[in-house]
Amino acid sequence: MVDGLVIAITIAALLAAAFSALMAVLDRPPQLGQLISLGVVEALLVVQLVVALSRIFTGDGPQDLATFVGYLLTVVLIPPLAALLGWFERTRWGSTIMAVGCLVVPVLVVRLQQVWHG
Amino acid sequence: MAEPSVARAPWRAGSGPGRVLAVVYAFFALAAGARAGWQIATRFEEAPTAYALSALAAAIYLVAAIGLARPGTGSYTLAMVCCTIELVGVLAVGTVSVLLPEAFPRATVWSDYGIGYGFVPLVLPVLGLLWLWRARPLRHA
Repeated sequence: MVDGLVIAITIAALLAAAFSALMAVLDRPPQLGQLISLGVVEALLVVQLVVALSRIFTGDGPQDLATFVGYLLTVVLIPPLAALLGWFERTRWGSTIMAVGCLVVPVLVVRLQQVWHG
Repeated sequence: MAEPSVARAPWRAGSGPGRVLAVVYAFFALAAGARAGWQIATRFEEAPTAYALSALAAAIYLVAAIGLARPGTGSYTLAMVCCTIELVGVLAVGTVSVLLPEAFPRATVWSDYGIGYGFVPLVLPVLGLLWLWRARPLRHA
């Protein structure tokens, strides 16, 4: 995998999580800014998906390909789902859902790294 | 007891923190379920009990998520039952796996109190039960 991309995703996801957690602490429902922060994380994850798939198709994939692709596809679904479910809960708990979703992303990215390196 | 309804916390099952818990439960059901499904499909004969138990745990997380996400006393009872089973399960299987490691030759979701999943299996039912207790429906609502 591309280390710089992994670091960028992790930092973006943690910042987005902190932002949404702050909004939850301040008792605010999800705002447009939070949607944008999740969008940034999602954009980076899509880049990761494209990069990983292109490396797999050029014969550079991990040994446990099924698990890797499973994580790869799952992680791309997390920010949109967190955004959707969080947005329609118009309380601080909507912001909490977004924060939790953003925290799941680095965990899955770490697992992706582990599977990639066998 | 017979507190006036206005004094009760404004929490209602199926909203607010319950929704956050439902989302986490649903994600965890997916994570544990996908892994168990994969293990059962590829190497079930290695540890049938362990993998079947993981799949069962995943199914209970999914039902709990549905119970937590929906309002109504039926959903409330469903969530309560599921969270209780999870807590008993993680404590029982966790204890057995520590004392008798050979009982579960392969890790389950609940082995060693859920250490393989960052102790989330231990924390989730506790949070779930705490929330359900706070959001308990009024007796004559």
